[in-house]
Amino acid sequence: MGFDLNRAIRGRVWKFGDSIETDAINPYYRYPTMEELKQHTMEVYRPEFPQQVKPGDIMVTGRNFGCGSSRPGLVLREVGIAAIIAESVARLFLRNSISRAIPIFVAPGVTGIVQDGETLEVDYPGAVIRNAATGASVPLRKYPPAIEQIFECGGLPQFAYERYLREAALGNRRGS
Amino acid sequence: MAQTMAEKLLSRHNLAGKPVRAGDFLEARIDGAMCHYHAGEPMRDMAIEAGFKDGLPRVWDREKIYVLLDHHQPALSQKLADENAVIRREVERLGIQCFHDSEPGIAHQMMLDYGLVRPGELVVGNDSHTLGYGSVNSGATGITRADMFYVLLYGELWFQVPHSVKVVLDGRQPNYPIAKDIILTLAGQYGDDFAQSMSIEYSGSLVPQLSIDSRMCLSTHGVEVGAKFAMFQADEATHRFVKARTDKPYEPLAPDAGAAYENEIRLNVNEMSFVVAKPHQFGNVVPVDEAKGVRINQAQIGSCANGRYEDIEIAARMLEGRKVAKGVRFIISPASQQVYLQCLKAGLIEKLIEAGAQVITPGCGVCQPRVGFLSDGEVCITATTRNFKGRKGSTKAEIYLGGPLTVTAAAVAGEIVNPKEVFRGL
Repeated sequence: MGFDLNRAIRGRVWKFGDSIETDAINPYYRYPTMEELKQHTMEVYRPEFPQQVKPGDIMVTGRNFGCGSSRPGLVLREVGIAAIIAESVARLFLRNSISRAIPIFVAPGVTGIVQDGETLEVDYPGAVIRNAATGASVPLRKYPPAIEQIFECGGLPQFAYERYLREAALGNRRGS
Repeated sequence: MAQTMAEKLLSRHNLAGKPVRAGDFLEARIDGAMCHYHAGEPMRDMAIEAGFKDGLPRVWDREKIYVLLDHHQPALSQKLADENAVIRREVERLGIQCFHDSEPGIAHQMMLDYGLVRPGELVVGNDSHTLGYGSVNSGATGITRADMFYVLLYGELWFQVPHSVKVVLDGRQPNYPIAKDIILTLAGQYGDDFAQSMSIEYSGSLVPQLSIDSRMCLSTHGVEVGAKFAMFQADEATHRFVKARTDKPYEPLAPDAGAAYENEIRLNVNEMSFVVAKPHQFGNVVPVDEAKGVRINQAQIGSCANGRYEDIEIAARMLEGRKVAKGVRFIISPASQQVYLQCLKAGLIEKLIEAGAQVITPGCGVCQPRVGFLSDGEVCITATTRNFKGRKGSTKAEIYLGGPLTVTAAAVAGEIVNPKEVFRGL
């Protein structure tokens, strides 16, 4: 399933601090199944999060989001998070999100324009994050075209599959 | 154009055949891929989800993929045993040549023990601490499991060329390891992401005095400050270490004079004190005296950061003629069977057990909620990689990080203490 970066996103904000680790996002050592993970993601920072998060909500975080182990944040998509917007993202969490086409945006200054519970709008084509109520905005960093293509494909395994099919077709044509 | 080590590494491996500089994106050719327990179910599931209905159709190079079951050996549950069985079948089906199945130990240590990484190579692993191979001048970095999927199939991967930060370490190496104190001091002073997505190049007058074990600790912990690579230049010690383990040729990396650095950080270790990271973040660092008197239930030495010979040797040396404090569980996990054997032959294990420490099977468990869980309200001081809340079980437990000497001092005293107060003559 591809992710369309150009589709506008609008949602209620959950705010988190700096250096949130993947142990908190994806504590799979303690909760090995997705059903369990959904009940416990982010609870070490906000115990009410797993119960109260709703599909379409947006996470806004401080710097270094997703530090620690290399683990994807698929559980956040499963509980309905529509976008993650961070001051900065730990490189492996950023790679994990890109390679699984989980919408994540780096927007320095974002924690300064929104309060917890307010509504944010993500305008990727316009490269801007906006507070729906106050109109305050910060720029978001766009991805280079090669990365946008991975999002479009729905992630790196899907990107790999498309390449495989393409090369197989070429090989067949050459062989015939 | 003068290049940093990262620029040189990625220029050499650029599929487009052109030099690259910091900030550029590229597709790079991979020299080696370390794949641990994700080699089974996670790869198969991603393959099926992507459209490969029979799983991965092939691997790019059967000789360049290294599968090691470190996190799950020996299997701690039936579920993990089942996952290991899937990995065995996949390794067989795909014809992967290098498979460490029935040997416990940390993949990263085994990659180094067995000479599977060499200076100048671009090596990836689906584990954050892969960058530890930078200790022997390898351009190594952690990737994600979906990245690994792509690598297994094509032996290629996208990268952004990192900016570089020069970390200059000066001073004199004392007769005990200080690598943990160095990286914690840097994280405390400059923040736990001072090298975010960057390449660390370690240099300075201390470096030639640093053991390979200490370099491994410093490179491994690069990820705790955000780094993509954390490299040392190859010197005599590097060549000795590598050539004792592999006869494959290699081409080391060195930065050019005049290469551009984003930042330069200097630390003189003569002026450094023993430090600990308090719960629950790596950068929450204070001098050990500020945590003095905190009673502990558990002390640990192990992991890809501190499970090496010198970490265990200092514990054994300091415990000679002493006992672990009553009620304290002092758990020591060598990083690999090779390290374990080295410690055994040197007589360290006997000393540790006589003093009341527990020596457990090599592996990642001691750094995770796998072995030595903590209960509510318990306190652990550990020379391992991370101190996040819940890392060792209870989210109401507290984990302090320190060097192996500081951990051993606490194990003897039953509380956090400056090692100089416990061990005279340091």
